[in-house]
Amino acid sequence: MSKYPAIIGYGRTKFGELYERSPEELIEEAGLKALDLAGVERKDLEYCFLSDYFLQLTNKIGLEEGFMSELLELHVPMEKCRSFSSALFNAYTAIMAGRCKLALVGGVEKLTDRWDKIRDDLMILEDPWSYYAGGSPEANHELMMRLYVKEYGLSQEEADELLEALAMIAVKNHHWATLNKEAHFHNKPITISEVLKARKKERKLLGLYDFAPISDGASVVILASPEVASKLCEDPVYVVGFGSSTDFISYPCRQGRAGFLATRLAAEVAFDMAKMEPENIGVAELYDQSTLLELIALEDLGFYGKGEGWAKVKESLESGNVYQLEGARELYVNTSGGRKADGNPLGASGGAMVIEVAKQLREEAEARQVSFTSKARAGLVVEHEGFGTKTYVHILSREVP
Amino acid sequence: MSSEPIERRVSYIGDRLRGAKCTICGREYFNVRHYCGVCGRSSIGKMACLDLFYEKGILEVCTAIREPTNRFRGLNSYIYGIVSFHDGDIKVPGRLTDLILDEEDIEPSALEGKEVVPRIRRRYAVERSEIVPTISLAFTLADEYYPYQRFEPKEPREKAEKPGIVGYGVYTSRFRIKEEGLERTVPFIDEDAITASVEAGKLALIHAGVDPHLVKKVYVGSESNPYAVKPIASKVAQVLELGVKLPGELQEVDAIDTQFACKAATSMFKDAAALAYYPFVETPYVMVIGADNAQAAPRNTAGGELDFFVGYGASAFIFGLYDVIAEVEAWYSCTSDTPDFWRRDTQEYPRHGGRFTGAPAYFKHVEKAAKGLMDKFGYKPSDFDYFVLHQPNPTFPVKAARSLGFKEEQYSLGLKVSKFGNTYSSSSPLGLAAVLDKAKPHQRILLVSYGSGAGSDAYVFITTPLIETKRERQKFTVEWQAENKFLKYVDYATYRRFKAGLELSS
Repeated sequence: MSKYPAIIGYGRTKFGELYERSPEELIEEAGLKALDLAGVERKDLEYCFLSDYFLQLTNKIGLEEGFMSELLELHVPMEKCRSFSSALFNAYTAIMAGRCKLALVGGVEKLTDRWDKIRDDLMILEDPWSYYAGGSPEANHELMMRLYVKEYGLSQEEADELLEALAMIAVKNHHWATLNKEAHFHNKPITISEVLKARKKERKLLGLYDFAPISDGASVVILASPEVASKLCEDPVYVVGFGSSTDFISYPCRQGRAGFLATRLAAEVAFDMAKMEPENIGVAELYDQSTLLELIALEDLGFYGKGEGWAKVKESLESGNVYQLEGARELYVNTSGGRKADGNPLGASGGAMVIEVAKQLREEAEARQVSFTSKARAGLVVEHEGFGTKTYVHILSREVP
Repeated sequence: MSSEPIERRVSYIGDRLRGAKCTICGREYFNVRHYCGVCGRSSIGKMACLDLFYEKGILEVCTAIREPTNRFRGLNSYIYGIVSFHDGDIKVPGRLTDLILDEEDIEPSALEGKEVVPRIRRRYAVERSEIVPTISLAFTLADEYYPYQRFEPKEPREKAEKPGIVGYGVYTSRFRIKEEGLERTVPFIDEDAITASVEAGKLALIHAGVDPHLVKKVYVGSESNPYAVKPIASKVAQVLELGVKLPGELQEVDAIDTQFACKAATSMFKDAAALAYYPFVETPYVMVIGADNAQAAPRNTAGGELDFFVGYGASAFIFGLYDVIAEVEAWYSCTSDTPDFWRRDTQEYPRHGGRFTGAPAYFKHVEKAAKGLMDKFGYKPSDFDYFVLHQPNPTFPVKAARSLGFKEEQYSLGLKVSKFGNTYSSSSPLGLAAVLDKAKPHQRILLVSYGSGAGSDAYVFITTPLIETKRERQKFTVEWQAENKFLKYVDYATYRRFKAGLELSS
């Protein structure tokens, strides 16, 4: 039997602008789907870990636990975190510490209810200094892209190719979302020329199609102790690796800004714990708040060398929707559509990423199902809070190391 | 620390750009810190404060923001990037101000690596009540309109016989409106009377080479304080760190606003000089600032006739008894209650009383003050090398000077209205600065201000040899600001939008 807690059920809502639905309704829908799939009753839950980035601000809901207690008719301990990955880690820790055997991990966000002020809110929370200097939510992505070009000495032609590679990432993620009925941009395929046109029209380096939207939605997974998982579930997905790390709040004040230090550090810990290497990963959900961040994550995680990712991404995506790695290996990234096309309801985003990887591993991903080689059989999730201020890396596997 | 709630919330940014340096290992940090991550507990109490207020940085990388957050929406588009100081040891996010990005066709990468100077601009909020007049992380290019100047405060050395001007600074923005031969200064949209006051005060400190801790009083005269209730002078004292710093965010300085239309500042020159001279309480230096973003109703509405003449700017003068460049020799003032210009509370713009302007107002007071001074102290027009008058338009000062018996070579150097417009409280002080920029030692200057309401102050200054010694610290001269290849001319609609500021235009 495994020594790792496992995901035994999951559920999510459609992501998008869900203005007719309240946050409570969303988390209820996702929660009921997850309980049903796991085959457990609400009274079996011993702990709840919830996440939302700023429901307090968007919907004036501050005591999320009270709403959950009422929805579940439960009086068990509950805690609230900022991201789904953080909630999942806390549930993991509680189970490993023997505090509970079955926990609900749920995330919900309702960003569109505050659409007129949301960009200010996002930016001031990401970094007050950048915000007061005039930074917009897109600005630091553009600075990072310029610093990347400088750091690796890209020529003008190479920089143009990098921008084209980023456009291809958007096209790829929209493609995957056409196969995901729950995605924010389901059935909205785009072309490279549309991505480039949007940039040109807005006179920006990175345009409309380079950034994840703001979305509403909820996601829930049921995490069980190794014993309970093996009893209740025929096909549990184990959390075999976990790492998290932090960096300074202000991106401009950091060193080494052509990547995220927090991702590199978190990934090292997660791979160590899982006793795995990047080559063991067959599918990954990477936090693509912008197309650039997908590229940056590929490099920070070691799938591509520093400053080389853009060329490999371009080469790979010219011939398909999968990244070609060294040694004739393949890596599927953001088959959910990614945050770009699946949607980005902050507190629920990590849940969608975990669920997508779990579905792929359990071969339940239907039209999106990827094939695994004998070596690359695990899945990986990267989630950020802020602009690389915190990074969580989770490694999931049906097999136990 | 400041007085509005939202600013308190973000007070860790403060007014001045600051860093910290570990005196053990030399590592530098953005913002004030009390602990070095490298040296650990041994660094407690050994962190030095780095003040970046008078320094210049490098714009390391930048991009164009064309879709700002609500807070900056009124700016439309601008350059945002990362500014580094001390070879990259300190990095801060920053915005380039004084640029109309859409019109000036700037490629962000062409700006990378350029030197920039921290500037005092307002931080903005969406709601009018949230306006915070303090430093933002705003910068301008160091080698363009606003030149970088080193600040090297020196100990007071030469004690003068009479108190006088120790140093001065004039600040106007790079934006101008030009109509029928008259050029007027226009604030950028993030500027107001407060930011101009601070900029002029900073330039005056640089020119005087005076330790701000020795400035014990500051007067700010203005008719366009963005606040109905709340002084400008307290902000100036805080940003410029005037007076000795006391524990608990206090400064040992007296700061006060004055108001009397365009003579709000000149009126205080004599108070400043007298204060510096008072032998029983030591007051080494006193600062007087005249600052206005002169307000005018739109044309073709009541008070709209002012809209053809109003300007923007500030002049700061430091008075004292040491290292004086122009001694105050005499003064004379006169006042009458004349309703030629007023704004009642809750009215948006000032009104201008047609039949009271001109003869019963400007000419009566200006001519009486000049004559009164000359009669009382026995001067005649030929005793003066220069004559500076309040200049609400190009014709009034010339007419008054001629009727008083002054010649063109006496009044032309200080006549700047056709390049700057009427900068109200800064109007005659700006003319005085233009003269001081060029005057030789031992020259005599007559200054006559005018403030609607109404009154005039007349002063006689006599320059000293130090005026030439200090001139190298005055790069941002009146002439530099009048004839500058980086001036940017705007149309009437832009001028109205910029004057109104971000909170009204967004």
